[in-house]
Amino acid sequence: MRRNLLKALFACALWGTAVAYAADAYVLKFATLAPAGSTWMKAFDAWGKELATRSQGRLTVKFYPGGISGDEPDMLKKIRFGQLQGAALSGHGIGEIFPPARILETPFLFRDHAEIDAVRAKIQPAIDAGFRNNRYELVAWMEVGNIHFFSTKPLASMDELARRRIWQWQGDRFIDAFFSANGWSPVALPITEVYTGLSTGLVDTVVSTPLASIALQWAGKTPYMSTQPVATGIGAVVVSDRFYAGLPPDLQALLKSTGGPLSQRLIADTRRDDLKSLAVLAQRAQPMAGLQKVDLAEQAARSRKTVSTLEARNYLSPELNRQVDAALAAHRSGSK
Amino acid sequence: MPLCPPLSRAAFASLAMALLPLSGCSTSQLVARGASPLIDHGVAAMNRETDLELARASIPANLKMIEALLLADPGNEAYRVQAAMGFYGYALGFVEPDDRARAAALYQRARDHGLVALDRAGVTQAMLDGDAAALTQTLAKLDARAVPALFWTASAWGKWIELQLDDPARLAELPRVEALMQRVLALDETYYHGGGHVFFGVYYGGRAPMFGGDFARAARHFDRAAALGQNRLLWVEVYRARYLLRQLGDRAAFHATLKRVLDAPDSVDPDLNLANALARKQAAALLAQEEDLF
Repeated sequence: MRRNLLKALFACALWGTAVAYAADAYVLKFATLAPAGSTWMKAFDAWGKELATRSQGRLTVKFYPGGISGDEPDMLKKIRFGQLQGAALSGHGIGEIFPPARILETPFLFRDHAEIDAVRAKIQPAIDAGFRNNRYELVAWMEVGNIHFFSTKPLASMDELARRRIWQWQGDRFIDAFFSANGWSPVALPITEVYTGLSTGLVDTVVSTPLASIALQWAGKTPYMSTQPVATGIGAVVVSDRFYAGLPPDLQALLKSTGGPLSQRLIADTRRDDLKSLAVLAQRAQPMAGLQKVDLAEQAARSRKTVSTLEARNYLSPELNRQVDAALAAHRSGSK
Repeated sequence: MPLCPPLSRAAFASLAMALLPLSGCSTSQLVARGASPLIDHGVAAMNRETDLELARASIPANLKMIEALLLADPGNEAYRVQAAMGFYGYALGFVEPDDRARAAALYQRARDHGLVALDRAGVTQAMLDGDAAALTQTLAKLDARAVPALFWTASAWGKWIELQLDDPARLAELPRVEALMQRVLALDETYYHGGGHVFFGVYYGGRAPMFGGDFARAARHFDRAAALGQNRLLWVEVYRARYLLRQLGDRAAFHATLKRVLDAPDSVDPDLNLANALARKQAAALLAQEEDLF
């Protein structure tokens, strides 16, 4: 009898330990379009391992790579329904959370990566707050790469773009506004239909990063590309505020502490892949002459008009844009 | 200087007739070509092996034997294809699960052997690197004799790319691999138990639609491969689960498909003993990862 009682007590103690452990173990279900084995997934895998190791198994990440969880709007929907807790997003997805951050991918606003880095450093607290106010915790900032024009035909001058059938990601208000401001007639298509569209002539020009152009096999259809980047595409690693708030303080701190190094690695790797991709494309693609010598001042002025339009539509934020302008002016004048 | 010991005039004449197509061959080439039946039997014996450890231990020696023969006879298409097939199979079955970097190097070696065979068939490296439309025209001139070289080169090349998705140069090569395998399907869709269809099942099933995936098309290719192979090659279902069902997020079908592979009776085709034993091993490994994958 006494032995049975001891056994029962021992079993209860074990059960209690298991419950305590289960209550203190957190699984972050995280989706990305990046395929397994890609540069980004290698960085994410390392990040997941670091979180598991440093939390002694209390915080683990379960990855859903390669678009298994659908495209970015699908991922965000699943996060809202609690099926996922985090995702890696491009500007397209960021536009669903905190559109003002897209000021950083305004065409021809920045001359190089140094300008982007300097400005973003200044406005990062505002971006963090913007995500937080919209129910997401921004873990790491990233980039998807420099954006270029790719076309099936050569381009003698920029004016010719008005006669081109330029693909626009369906539902992307930001890109739509810029195309409209330039008098270009975009063809709105889901990304899944672009390859076929290039084959049939439904579209003849696309904007994309060099890596995406290769990975999506658009490069084989577009022998002409602009060498001057239009902008640098933005990206973000986010978790839902519900998941973040449910973590104990030490795991919240751990998650945030890994964000900086993850961001640095993702941005450095993306910039390196950009150069490698350009080198691959340079073997086959020819430059689009009409975009070789873009008048940056003229284009920047045109972009600012579009920014004003998007501010009026409450898509971009006048306050954040003022901070961007001030930080950029300070960087260019040499005062940091 | 005679190549052989003294022969009767008649014997010499018949030997000379037999060797006529090989005029210009060195002695070592003749010896290498004489080993062909032995190599063929060695491949057949390996395909019939049921003991995975025995296969793992003995395949490397066989591969080095083929490479030794290729040193003597570098342009031998049959050996090049066997080397491509052998290195591909060894990397897939025994190396990739534990060491992806080494597997990538072996897939590359398999592809390089295949490329020599393709070069002999008229498809040069320059053509493979050049204009896609011109490559398609070149491939259209090939007949069914080129199918083994096309199939094993494309298979190895595809895996080499799959293990280096972080290298833009590899990603840019994928359309060429697709072109080679399209030609396989056009020339002989039954080759290697419908292997061309398995390739396209993975090709369209292993990625999201935004990256060119097409799940319905992938399912049709897997179904066609299963029909052509009369469901004897278990890899068809393993690949269906690993790529298509995983991408679809269909955990129940993933589980059921792999369980069927594990429960499948031993093949009626002894030439598939080794392939199916490896497929079962892969199925068990995938089932062990199920919780992490979904």
